[in-house]
Amino acid sequence: MPFLTFAFRNLLRHKVRSFLTLVGITASVAVLFSILSFNKGFEKGIVKELDQTGIHFMVVPSGCAHEVASLVLHGAIIPKYLSVDVVSRIRQLDDIELVSPILVAQLPNPAKDRVDLVYGMDLKHARQMKPSWIIDGSLPARDDEVIVGAEIAAHDRLKPGDMISYPNKSRSFRVTGILQKTGGQDDAFIYMPVKTAQLLFNKPDGATAIGVRVAKPDRINAVTEELSAQVPGIQIVTMGQVLSSLMSLAASAKVMSISLAIIAIFISTVGVMNAILMAIFERSQEIGMMRAVGASRLDIFRIILKETILLTAAGGCAGVLLANIGSHGIELLLRKSMPYAPSGNMIVFDPFLAAGCVGFSVLLGFLAGVFPAWKATKISPIEAIKG
Amino acid sequence: MIELRGVEKTYIRGAEQVHALKGITLSIARGEFVSVMGPSGSGKTTMLHILGCLDNITSGEITIDGMSASSLQEPQLVEIRRKKIGFVFQQFYLIPGLSVFDNVSLPLLFAHEKKNHAYIQSLIELVGLNHAAKRKPHQLSGGEMQRVAIARALVNNPKLILADEPTGNLDSENSDMIYALFADLHKRGLTIIMVTHNSELAARAERVVRLKDGLIVRD
Repeated sequence: MPFLTFAFRNLLRHKVRSFLTLVGITASVAVLFSILSFNKGFEKGIVKELDQTGIHFMVVPSGCAHEVASLVLHGAIIPKYLSVDVVSRIRQLDDIELVSPILVAQLPNPAKDRVDLVYGMDLKHARQMKPSWIIDGSLPARDDEVIVGAEIAAHDRLKPGDMISYPNKSRSFRVTGILQKTGGQDDAFIYMPVKTAQLLFNKPDGATAIGVRVAKPDRINAVTEELSAQVPGIQIVTMGQVLSSLMSLAASAKVMSISLAIIAIFISTVGVMNAILMAIFERSQEIGMMRAVGASRLDIFRIILKETILLTAAGGCAGVLLANIGSHGIELLLRKSMPYAPSGNMIVFDPFLAAGCVGFSVLLGFLAGVFPAWKATKISPIEAIKG
Repeated sequence: MIELRGVEKTYIRGAEQVHALKGITLSIARGEFVSVMGPSGSGKTTMLHILGCLDNITSGEITIDGMSASSLQEPQLVEIRRKKIGFVFQQFYLIPGLSVFDNVSLPLLFAHEKKNHAYIQSLIELVGLNHAAKRKPHQLSGGEMQRVAIARALVNNPKLILADEPTGNLDSENSDMIYALFADLHKRGLTIIMVTHNSELAARAERVVRLKDGLIVRD
């Protein structure tokens, strides 16, 4: 019977206590793993979404950073509009590759008893603006044609060639393509030419934002400085600024969630130490007997430490497993605490992170076990004979 | 096998200095069966601790199997306990979660030795529990538990068995059975030192040492 088996059987002697201690470790490791996975996925998700925009900066009406970030990534509806005049002024600048006005608005759909989200854009720039899009069908060639996001298509059972009607606006649109599922809010929009959207919403010169791509990326700063100087009342947001803005918005939520995980881990570590100390107190005569029948102090230390490490290793593995099983629910919960979260699944199993969390749990087990193990070595074997 | 020369043991209990042993001189030959008797506080348990290398002496000299144990450090004392001495306690101290087989083999874990299954089984048979090798301690009677403890004491093949009130928690029938087991081990050549309050059992040993107030009053 090796030491490890002996330590395992000792833990089994107090099944309820060991189980409750295990639950504490499992819960705290699950929280830690989920939060770290989420944070990692959060950063990756934002970078991925920004990469997918295909533009270098956005020109928007002056406003708050959060609105801009949401607009850039998800097409948020902002009740402020830029004049199309700004578009022509941008085009006059040097090194401009692409200028694409965007108009995002809500369109009531009484037939379906809902409000549709319309995204007006220069669809000939769709490949550059949305390089990750996969469209079943084709891009609109005429002003009365649209493509629709996967969610709307699924809900209304739309396919290329179908018509969408808005009797309240006396307009009908032919669906030329269905956007394959992106996992983001792109799935919920109806995309139409920006000119059509401007007419539909009575904003003949209006744009919610203007996406700009510069021919030489090293000229981004020079172009934005020039534009700021020439056009008042606009805000220029580069993708880097969007990234840092979103990261700083999420920072406080991240700090809070990681703090909670650390507190939970600290409590469970104290719980482990307490459970092992109780076990040692109860088994002091037994430990004395073991010393009398030949156990050295080091043997006792090893047994107690192995019990603690077994407990925390099992708790760590169970925590990672639990976090994976419940990742969907945990992600929903965490998303609520974040001011902004990118689309798609963010808690993705990362074996290195999982190993790190289990390793961290084992390290805590080691630290929590050292003191009880040291206490156990101080038990005098005479205690056993005294009875 | 064992030599005690002028062994004194003093310890502090609260504010009081207790002279547990006041100069014991005793020689026990290999293969002897010695009963140690005496009233409570006479020093018999302290003497057993010292013989078992569990406690230090204050002064005097102790030799076990030709080796002076008075000056040995903890690692050497552990080695003596592992290889030369088997302990039997009044309270048995079996590990509840382990089977009879695993309880018997426990000292091998600490001795870092591997003995085969048949050897441990033979010890279990020796104490008459071959039917109960897989049982847990709570499934055994008091007498059976003490027999497991005796098998455990034998597993490292020691030369000396130290038993502290081994029948103290048993009825007379089981006490007789345990004594018979010690007598059998004695016949096989083991040295046995048994502390007991049971004068009838003590009288059956080939030698009875009586202690009173930390001194040997009769041998």
